[in-house]
Amino acid sequence: MSFWETVTGSDLTREWNDFDARAAALPAGHRAAWEQIKTHLFPYGNFTGRNLSPIADAALGLLEEAAADGRGADEVLGDDIPGFCAALAGGEGARTYRDRWRAQLNRNVARRLGRLGG
Amino acid sequence: MEDLTEMLKGTLEGCVLEIIGREETYGYAITRRLNELGFADVIDGTVYTILLRLERNGLVQVTKRPSDVGPPRKFYALNDAGRAELATFWAKWEYVSARIDTLREGGR
Repeated sequence: MSFWETVTGSDLTREWNDFDARAAALPAGHRAAWEQIKTHLFPYGNFTGRNLSPIADAALGLLEEAAADGRGADEVLGDDIPGFCAALAGGEGARTYRDRWRAQLNRNVARRLGRLGG
Repeated sequence: MEDLTEMLKGTLEGCVLEIIGREETYGYAITRRLNELGFADVIDGTVYTILLRLERNGLVQVTKRPSDVGPPRKFYALNDAGRAELATFWAKWEYVSARIDTLREGGR
């Protein structure tokens, strides 16, 4: 990854365009599921969203496999796409906005307390 | 049997480890195996998230193989850490199931 790409995130845009191009080749139902997955993955992104690419890649791979086997998106994912996305993003390395806000709050409180305590 | 999802939650990872431990296999085949066993509610999505977790935790060895149709498939095999995890799972399962049996039989 070049400095330019790091700063502008241009490689990311390209990556997501690639994902969308792959998704465009899928049947309509799978494509709709992909749109939903993107929506529900977004809250798990970090500042640049860089952590989401491998997760999105995995989810898209599953849809592609399903389409190749002739299985419907709902058959593969069930009706709980938000839950699926949470499970995908779960585990280490998938920190959410909320986690970071919480950590920041904890840091600030600790700093204040440290100051008060002398 | 329906609505097993909640009860299965903690054990499904162990089941997947056991299936992979028997032979190298891929996601859809694991789902089918679980469905055959009678866990009809288990879907690919669930198995897939478990497989990703196993991969992240370094318990499986993943090999990508080209498939006749569609994208290459990821095949999963247990590594040493995975085998150790599977042994731990069965030990825990023995413990829990023995206690629950005792409870049902009215003992202490």
